[in-house]
Amino acid sequence: MAKMNPPLDTLVTEIQINTEGDIVLSRRAVREYTIFLGFGVTDTARIVTAASELARNVFKYAGQGALYLRSLEAPGKIGIELKFVDSGPGIPDLDMAMTDGYSTGGGFGMGLPGAKKLMDEMEIQSVVGQGTTIVLKKWRNS
Amino acid sequence: MNNDQITVVKVRGVLMVILPSDPDDSSIQSLQDRAMAGLEQHDSKALIMDISAVEIFDSFFARAISETAQMATLMGARTIIAGMRPAVAITATQLGLALKCVETALTTDQALAMVDLGRKRGWRK
Repeated sequence: MAKMNPPLDTLVTEIQINTEGDIVLSRRAVREYTIFLGFGVTDTARIVTAASELARNVFKYAGQGALYLRSLEAPGKIGIELKFVDSGPGIPDLDMAMTDGYSTGGGFGMGLPGAKKLMDEMEIQSVVGQGTTIVLKKWRNS
Repeated sequence: MNNDQITVVKVRGVLMVILPSDPDDSSIQSLQDRAMAGLEQHDSKALIMDISAVEIFDSFFARAISETAQMATLMGARTIIAGMRPAVAITATQLGLALKCVETALTTDQALAMVDLGRKRGWRK
């Protein structure tokens, strides 16, 4: 596939996460966006998997929230940013939440640490009782 | 296009579960019930899960597959996962996902051959 250089600033996509089905919609939107930006098959799988983990977290812990996708541009490279925003209960202990295998939700405990491993950058802002914002970035190997 | 339905079919005594490219959570949750019901109904000694269409394999999906395989083992059936795509294998490994009680095959064809070989050796009928 030819790698394109799309008009970057015009591309902001918002996906509401309110139902379980929205996890699938988030994955599809991220997949389309990633492919559009010229990411390869493996990076696309990584990004979509990270998105799936975090979209499920939003639905499971906060009940609802949103995912914002946008493209990034830096000298000599482009990338994708995924921002998950919710106003749920927040994460009481970020260090624990980032530990492999630690879960309060009955999962594998891989959502947050897994997403971090699959992406290049991850930032978490969380306030108990107010909500959580997680920003993930991945740069395209050119 | 409906691309989230799980297909369960019996092929020459083997229970074959064919997973769609991007199943939703409730489809994944139905996997265990359908696979176990199929094993009982068809008296199958082998369960092959064809994931060749699967494009994404997150921890929720991995857990469902892993648990299904453990259940099948308890019911006396061997489980073979067939057709994992390279990108999925790379991602799953990077995530640290481990599948228990599971054999793997490159293709469903090879998985069926493994079952046939097991039968010839009298491993299971």
